[in-house]
Amino acid sequence: MMPLSGYLTVSVALFCIGLYGLVQRRSLIAMLIALELMLAAASLNVVAITTLSGGGGWRQIGLGHASSVGQVVALILIGVAAAEAAIALSLFVAIQRYASTINVEDLSELKG
Amino acid sequence: MTWESALFWLSGAMALAGAMLAVGLRNIFHNILGFALALVGVAGLFLTLGSDFLAVVLILVYVGALAIAMVYAVMLSYPLDTRPRPRSTRKVLGAAALAALVAAALFAVVLGAHFARAAGPRETSAAWVGRRLLGDYVLAFELISVLLVVAMIGAVMVARKARMPRQAPTPTPKLIG
Repeated sequence: MMPLSGYLTVSVALFCIGLYGLVQRRSLIAMLIALELMLAAASLNVVAITTLSGGGGWRQIGLGHASSVGQVVALILIGVAAAEAAIALSLFVAIQRYASTINVEDLSELKG
Repeated sequence: MTWESALFWLSGAMALAGAMLAVGLRNIFHNILGFALALVGVAGLFLTLGSDFLAVVLILVYVGALAIAMVYAVMLSYPLDTRPRPRSTRKVLGAAALAALVAAALFAVVLGAHFARAAGPRETSAAWVGRRLLGDYVLAFELISVLLVVAMIGAVMVARKARMPRQAPTPTPKLIG
């Protein structure tokens, strides 16, 4: 079994690559891709920590080992990410139809 | 080297390389392919943790559904014939500096933290996850299905063609000879 710090390192790197993409890209779809990468990094973090660490306190309060709880949290994260992406993609299509662009620098109607 | 650590290194490299392709390339289709590669890598990492059910769900949802939906959104909304505008170097450097700063802070926290060793037998099999989902966490399970239904209906309503502004009906040409 690999040490926990290996998983956390990969997770931090994935998160920061996603953050860079979210700040730097100008297309809404590319920004959504970067956001999904950050969410995947977060769920990897939850699963790795609950599998390789903890568990004692959970058992004392009668919740069993934490690893299955971490997987349930990650499953719910995946579900929320899917719902959010469906809404976001349909919004992008509507924005494209309305403004003929999905470049965030061109979508500045609300700028004061 | 055991198969587990080999799979860890392979999946980790795949996840990071895919993420770099997903944010670094200029073509949006290449971005989506890199995104799929990164998520396959994350699924491999879940496999090394023993969470095989989660790995399969991740591939099904992200690579199977989300990447395809993104391709459809690109098809419906992306002007592929326009050349991408050049990026201003100042903004790229600013984004890289922000990401590096956050990375340094998170690495400092992660590598300085002390985690207790796991106690007791692990419950990573799909049987345990199913028992949790239909036992203590059944409310979250039901709520997520309601959320998915609402999101699907909302997505259809938002992306449906908006009603055109009403205009006088154009007279249809009569074809009576």
